[in-house]
Amino acid sequence: MSLDWQGAWQALVQHPLFAFGITLGAYQLAVAAYERTRWVFLQPVLVSMLLVIGVLLFCGVDYAAYREGAQILTVFLGPATVALAVPLFLNLKRIRLLFWPVVTTLLVGGVFTTLLGVGLAWLFGTERLMLMTLAPKSVTSPIAMLVSEQIGGMAGLAAVFVLVTGILGAVFGPALLRRCGVRHPAALGMALGLTSHAVGTSRALQEGEECGAFAALGMSLMGVFTAVLLPLSVAMVV
Amino acid sequence: MLLRGLTWLVLFQLLGTTIQALCLPMLPGPIIGLLLLFVYLVWRGEVSAPVQEAAGSLLRYLPLMLVPPAVGVMAYADLIAANFWSIAGALLLSLLVSLAFAGWLMQRLIERQANGGKGA
Repeated sequence: MSLDWQGAWQALVQHPLFAFGITLGAYQLAVAAYERTRWVFLQPVLVSMLLVIGVLLFCGVDYAAYREGAQILTVFLGPATVALAVPLFLNLKRIRLLFWPVVTTLLVGGVFTTLLGVGLAWLFGTERLMLMTLAPKSVTSPIAMLVSEQIGGMAGLAAVFVLVTGILGAVFGPALLRRCGVRHPAALGMALGLTSHAVGTSRALQEGEECGAFAALGMSLMGVFTAVLLPLSVAMVV
Repeated sequence: MLLRGLTWLVLFQLLGTTIQALCLPMLPGPIIGLLLLFVYLVWRGEVSAPVQEAAGSLLRYLPLMLVPPAVGVMAYADLIAANFWSIAGALLLSLLVSLAFAGWLMQRLIERQANGGKGA
């Protein structure tokens, strides 16, 4: 009896749960590796991403097919974003005490991070399409995708820049901030959430509840602020 | 418990999406949902146990949900390769500088507020 290896392989790769399965598997491995080593470069999102890309290339599955299968996961990003209201509310008292530091950091820091990113890319000779895709790099991906499309960039690529920024922030952020003498959990969280959105926020949640709450605050304020002001300022300048 | 909380979160997200489609096209649905839930929690003055449980469970798996968008790097490999150094340099430098700046600024402002409170 001859076994139909080809057919079995196709059935495996094309199963609706294939994308979900490899993502879950890669994530388990990545979390186990991170917990065993505690090495900052082994951020679970980064390691899982590399593992999944490896498997997809090996199996000859393209990104469009993977994205469709992985929708079981991505569809929960919406409710998870809504869920950030809970840590925000639970820390309302602490946030209220620091109202002016939060608002000042948001305005000054938010404008600074956006201008610096676009400015450096322009200085390095990046074309306009790329600049508009880079501009919302510090905002959570659903907002960044919408905003970059509105100002003439590419939504999918914007999500990638957002993620790279987030991972960089989660990898280097806490150590860099401590080295700069930033000790207050609110300041750590605010800086992580403001510049590295959801990835920074999930890193900040590991540092503690107060740190996570300020990261969620920084992320949502930066998101709303960018979504409203960036398209307006691009329309005025260009 | 978990499902009841999840129902609330999904309802707020759907409400946000409806409002976005109706009158706020520049704000994504989930962010409107976040703001609405926040206002609702402030109005009620407490978080119900089911919502707190569902939110905690979802947020614990936030990194997992971010993996599929991250895999999107592979779809833009050519474009990224063509501009690799300028993009990588701009992303890394701007992130490190602005992260340190935001943290430093916030820390200074907190300290100033604390000192001002004592002095007065």
